[in-house]
Amino acid sequence: MSQDISPSTAFIDGKPFLFQSGETILNVVDRHLGRGHVPTLCDAPQLEPYGACRVCSVEVALQDGGPRRVVASCHTPMAPGMHIFTETQKVRRLRKNIVELVLTDHPLDCLTCEVNGNCELQTVAAKVGIRKVRYPEGENHLDRKKDLSHPYMTSDLSKCINCSRCVRACDEIQGQHVLSMHGRGFNARIIKGMDTTFEESPCVSCGACSQACPTSAISDVFMSKSIEATNKTRTVCTYCGVGCNLTVATKGNEVLSIQAPVDAEVNHAHTCLKGRFAFKFYNHKDRLRKPLIRQPDGAFKEATWDEAYEHIVTNLKRIIAANGPQAVAGISSARCTNEENYLMQKFIRHVVGTNNIDCCARVCHSPTAWGMQKSFGTGAATNSFEDIGYTKCIMVIGANPTEGHPVTGARLKQAVMKGTPLIVIDPRRIEIVPYAKYHLQLRPGTNVALLNMMARFILDEGLVKKDFVEKRCENWEEFEAGLRSLDMDALEKITGVDKELVRAAAIEYASSEAAMSFHGLGVTEHEQGAKTVMLISNLAMMTGNIGRPGVGVNPLRGQNNVQGAADMGCQPHQGAGYFEMNDIQVQKRYSEFYGTNTPSEPGWKIPQMFDNAIAGNLKALWLMGEDVVQTDPDAHHVRHAMDSLEFLVVQEIFMTETAKYADVILPAASFLEKSGTFTNAERRVQRVNAAVKPLEGTKPDGQIMCEIIQRFGHPQADYTPDGVLAEIAQIVPFFKGATWENLGEQGKQWPIREGGVDTQIMHVEQFARGKGHFHFFNWQESTELKTNGTEFPFILTTGRILEHYNCGTMTRRTGNSEIVAKDLLAINPADARAKSINTGDTVKLFSARGEVELEASVTDEVKPGILYTTFHFPENMVNNVTGQGCDADTLCPEYKVVAADIVKVS
Amino acid sequence: MEVPADLEARIDEAITHYPVSRRSAVLPVLHLLQHHFRYITEESVAWTAAKLGLEPIQVLEVVTFYPGFRQTAPGKVHVRVCRTLACAMAGSYELLEKFCQASGIDREAINHHHPIGVSPDGKYSIEFVECLASCGTAPVCLVEDDLHEKVDPAAVDKVLAQYS
Ligand code: SF4
Ligand code: SF4
Ligand code: SF4
Ligand code: FES
Ligand code: FES
Repeated sequence: MSQDISPSTAFIDGKPFLFQSGETILNVVDRHLGRGHVPTLCDAPQLEPYGACRVCSVEVALQDGGPRRVVASCHTPMAPGMHIFTETQKVRRLRKNIVELVLTDHPLDCLTCEVNGNCELQTVAAKVGIRKVRYPEGENHLDRKKDLSHPYMTSDLSKCINCSRCVRACDEIQGQHVLSMHGRGFNARIIKGMDTTFEESPCVSCGACSQACPTSAISDVFMSKSIEATNKTRTVCTYCGVGCNLTVATKGNEVLSIQAPVDAEVNHAHTCLKGRFAFKFYNHKDRLRKPLIRQPDGAFKEATWDEAYEHIVTNLKRIIAANGPQAVAGISSARCTNEENYLMQKFIRHVVGTNNIDCCARVCHSPTAWGMQKSFGTGAATNSFEDIGYTKCIMVIGANPTEGHPVTGARLKQAVMKGTPLIVIDPRRIEIVPYAKYHLQLRPGTNVALLNMMARFILDEGLVKKDFVEKRCENWEEFEAGLRSLDMDALEKITGVDKELVRAAAIEYASSEAAMSFHGLGVTEHEQGAKTVMLISNLAMMTGNIGRPGVGVNPLRGQNNVQGAADMGCQPHQGAGYFEMNDIQVQKRYSEFYGTNTPSEPGWKIPQMFDNAIAGNLKALWLMGEDVVQTDPDAHHVRHAMDSLEFLVVQEIFMTETAKYADVILPAASFLEKSGTFTNAERRVQRVNAAVKPLEGTKPDGQIMCEIIQRFGHPQADYTPDGVLAEIAQIVPFFKGATWENLGEQGKQWPIREGGVDTQIMHVEQFARGKGHFHFFNWQESTELKTNGTEFPFILTTGRILEHYNCGTMTRRTGNSEIVAKDLLAINPADARAKSINTGDTVKLFSARGEVELEASVTDEVKPGILYTTFHFPENMVNNVTGQGCDADTLCPEYKVVAADIVKVS
Repeated sequence: MEVPADLEARIDEAITHYPVSRRSAVLPVLHLLQHHFRYITEESVAWTAAKLGLEPIQVLEVVTFYPGFRQTAPGKVHVRVCRTLACAMAGSYELLEKFCQASGIDREAINHHHPIGVSPDGKYSIEFVECLASCGTAPVCLVEDDLHEKVDPAAVDKVLAQYS
């Protein structure tokens, strides 16, 4: 028989099939004949091939009619011309016998097992034709005890088949190394930590092991593998800018559990505990379910939606008539969808008639948006998460990815564990530091000094990519002159980092073939925040690390849609699509599009709104999903502002610290109850799909905005996600090619051109602004430290932890609170000794603004003189202490540098 | 746990033989530690992990995989009797029994789950092990690091006497 065998053809059961090099036999069989055609037990699509169980055995001949061998298909690479036999008598018998042996040590109580009907072992046993195990009952492990110690993770290792999928999930996906196989042979068993419970182990409850386990041996309290969960909706996590895809299982109008789709480009079957497990807030008894109107006696009274709307319209119209539209402002939320943010700014700008619209990006990444626009022309990540797989050097600046952006953090950790060098610039020894090649542990507030040192060393070492700088950038001379004027010894003292270490890190970054930087709020939430962003951009430009795979400047956006909120125009100076509001042409374009006048007066940023409320210029404020009292710095000042307002509307899912000040509260729906789009940190616009109907009495924010626009007498269609997206696509150029349908399951990365062509890497041929612009800045001591540093000698810096989300409104109402229930204050052992403080003591933390009490945690993860805490708990109200210092360019608050002091209370 | 300087120096030297993956150095480090401390404690596991920049569980899995690593204290004199085919045919089961009798160890307590028996006075411990690579001179046993060949089960007292 003569056949034309092209290099990538092989035969499966006699039929020719194409394959790509690097594929395993199982990959090809799965693709062409469907997953499950060849049974598997130890293999899982999200894991590396392993080859332990041999259930996937097939017979292989290297040529037609050649001798056959039995191989495990899951880890045997394809070869051209191979003949693969998937159903011979021999492999059938082998598979059956293997599974039979497995079953000799497996309880046969399927009917009462939580995964009955959705168990891979059950499926495989049926597939290989086992009706009855021929072997007599022997020694077994059926008496193993369940582990129900943890709020989320469970195990029942009597059901374990020792496939090691859980171990590999923990190692290869999460990188936590919590699980392992203890012992050998018959005694082999899965252990957690040093042979303890989930609760006691270092498990971070990502759930990857539970999803990977083929049986119920490792599972979770929501029984996410149970067949109860047949109704599934794909949506996007609401907790951070990674934008993990989730599969939400529901029954009726109840969410049962959440898993992660294996094919999701963003998260490949992974999530953190927030995305997978922290959903129980959605129908919590505390959810607001009726509009509330404050009565003259100060109490809230339940109202109908009509009454609430009417009350709002009357009051807003009255205030506008008396004081002009400038007396009204809106703050939208980076937690809400693009559509909702878009509608909110449309309402404030084009219905109310003021540019007083801002969002919580103000308090996190506004310096990134502003700084990167100045340097490159676009305020968004230049590259994609996928690039982590190609980069040759990773630099993490002022970000704690394993806690703040856990799934990206895990991906970074995997790359680093496989050998990619990592540079960490952070005042704390964060979780990823032990994996880093360099940790530049600078004093908080000295980013500019440190990055300038790096740039100067790159110059001194002759590592500047001159071609790139000449062809693609401008203003190099001024920057170079600035660098040459630096006094490196003085900077070494300022940053507190050995300059030789800085030099080595600079050389590592600059001489790498492809270096990629990631930054977070440790960059932006400073007086020189935007300047720091521009310096990071400088480093990328001077080393040619722009416009290719594995390079670039990549902000780890905090909230799930903080990118989108700014894209949609929720900032005072730029409208939807980043058009400058002070440009007359822009005003004209908007006016024509909306058929109303476009405001020309500059709007206020959030801190200015507060100041103007106190000064009596701002009368009415509308907040969509923002708890400014708990999350904005200097809570006393924020409270004062709230008190000063004449009229406050709050759209919320819970009674937050801020909502308590409202005149009208509108009960909104959570992300599980609505549809729209979120844009993640890599500019990926992804579809959010309602998994359940809005809780009775609540409405999605988008619908609320549409209804209020209608009630103001402005033409506005009812809310539909595709309808609003279509409107956005007409006005936001980089959404031009986006439609609800073509976003599909994976979403698209903007700019999205007509026809739906998206963009993984930006600035490839040229920068969005034409030439990349170098800026030089000298480091300046923060005003906070200059003013209060003598009286309050410690530097407090704040951040977030894995388990909680910002003000914790949602995560505090889930099992996450059983894992972490309070904010802790990290103190260096030397300082603790001097102040006689031990771990567990209550400590008073005070600053020029106020004081709070916190529990001390003595740890050398912070240097002497530095304190660190989080602000997730209203009981602690850490923002009573933080100040009003802010980024000079964008007014992003300086949460990261606070002059403070401590004293032991008990 | 106090690791003497000279032992640590030897461990450090051993690690240099594994430049690609520190994980590969787990075995030699554990051997050196066991040789010095006689068995692998939890502290040794933690120490090895810290030394190599690994998670303790990545060391523990190796310790528990290889029966050659002991997780409990052996006697002052540790005897390993080969039980693999050649030795078994040449009488190693009898040899093991005689060793047990001579040292007061309960033979029944030595099994797959508890491969090492220790005498009540803590003086001796006996382990049934796989091939010691001296099949031609079966039956064989290792007492501490000394190989004894063609051991006559009747003469175990004499063997032990050399170590008292
Ligand atoms: S939940 Fe995540 S961290 Fe915990 S054991 Fe499983 S994979 Fe590891
Ligand atoms: S717990 Fe589950 S995944 Fe882990 S080895 Fe057992 S059966 Fe496999
Ligand atoms: S990493 Fe972020 S997006 Fe992903 S599950 Fe966690 S919080 Fe959600
Ligand atoms: S699935 Fe291939 S060996 Fe287990
Ligand atoms: S069988 Fe005993 S030494 Fe080989």
